[in-house]
Amino acid sequence: MTAAGLEGLIVLGVFIALMVGFLAASQRWPAHFRRIPAFEELNRAIERAVEAGERVHVSLGTGSVIGPESAPALAGLAVLTRIARATSMSDRPVVVTAGDGAMAILAQDTLRTTYQEVGASELYEPTSGRLLGATPLSYAAGLPAVLANEQVSVHVLSGAYGFEAGLAADFGERARVFVIGGTDDVQAQALLYTVAQHPLIGEEVFASGAYLDVGAMHKASLRAQDVVRFGLIVLILLGVIVSTFEGLA
Amino acid sequence: MRVLRLSAIWAALAMGVGLFVLLGYFIEFSFIQDLRLLFLRWSVLLAATALLVGLINLVAVHWRKVSLTEEGWIYSAVLMLSFTVTLILALFLRPDRPAALFIFKTFQLPLEASLMAVLAISLLVAGFRLVSRRRNLLSLLFIGTALMVLLGTGPMPGATEGPIVNLLGNFRAWLSQVWAAGGARGILLGVALGATATGLRVLLAADRPYGA
Repeated sequence: MTAAGLEGLIVLGVFIALMVGFLAASQRWPAHFRRIPAFEELNRAIERAVEAGERVHVSLGTGSVIGPESAPALAGLAVLTRIARATSMSDRPVVVTAGDGAMAILAQDTLRTTYQEVGASELYEPTSGRLLGATPLSYAAGLPAVLANEQVSVHVLSGAYGFEAGLAADFGERARVFVIGGTDDVQAQALLYTVAQHPLIGEEVFASGAYLDVGAMHKASLRAQDVVRFGLIVLILLGVIVSTFEGLA
Repeated sequence: MRVLRLSAIWAALAMGVGLFVLLGYFIEFSFIQDLRLLFLRWSVLLAATALLVGLINLVAVHWRKVSLTEEGWIYSAVLMLSFTVTLILALFLRPDRPAALFIFKTFQLPLEASLMAVLAISLLVAGFRLVSRRRNLLSLLFIGTALMVLLGTGPMPGATEGPIVNLLGNFRAWLSQVWAAGGARGILLGVALGATATGLRVLLAADRPYGA
């Protein structure tokens, strides 16, 4: 095993230990996170959509399941669980779109399982989780039809996007619906910041599960993330100081 | 009880496969490396099959729209017709034959280029909207930086050299290479941690996107 491999394993081990530790301590030591208004607004928008009999649309982006870009879409699937539960009383259950076949199947599975859990299996339709287009731009081109025909009032973007993120958010803005969007790509984040009503910047898209009360593990992992981040910042600063003094010596 | 057992089996399977693939990144034992490669090859095959399932799902959605003559059914009909023609041409001729390339060059390429043009206009409009809707320091800084980078990148009318052009170019380089690159690295650090946490939640079966 190489030194880099060993370091990677140690960091992963620490991460897992922190997640499990924070999960165990969650009852005695509840988590308090900084306020992110976008998530508060999302909760209110979902409530309004349920009351008005309108639909929530979750977009899982155009990334594939087997690539590193799957992470924000997996976070989106966790949010989908929460949204599917919240909208299970609505006449119009949530609709999910993806730009990848496997992601669309995962969305269908998530919907089916969640509806089974809340005792509303009859709400499940295989076409509620759908592949919208096999390329990024064909996916974006399909969005206006979904937003208009499905009577969508909440448009949640959580997945991997490139420059089509700007179009995906803009179609929502043009349809005058509530738009919240986050992704892992920095340039796409800049587009979302400009276009979307409620952009999620940095790792906020990965914190959505913790903020929307998807489960205790989401809060525990967010706390673990913060601890590891502070550790990394300290290490970076130490590295800067050491290399500066080495240069002076 | 049966559902519970099944879900435990899927979770164990996902955890086991995920663990081997993850360990393959850090440990160089040939057994783990071979197993990781095998699982990755399987995943590529599965993803290709999933694309086929996804396409069937896409056709099913639009078939329903056409058969129920729902709002916008005509677009669904056009989509199904295009899908069928493209599929037949690509299957029976081959994707690199002139007929298939004709479809790509005549329809898909111009349509995607048009969408890019729409994006440019949308961003311009969104820039103005951002200033009016979210009038705070961050938004003004964002727009100001974008304008400075644009000014420093594009050619100045009537001048290609000179102190002002050089100053703008240097300022743009300083903005993008120092401040923007530093900020982007900070964001990427957070994204990497978030992605790791998300992956670990799936690996620990806390999140089960496979529906179990």
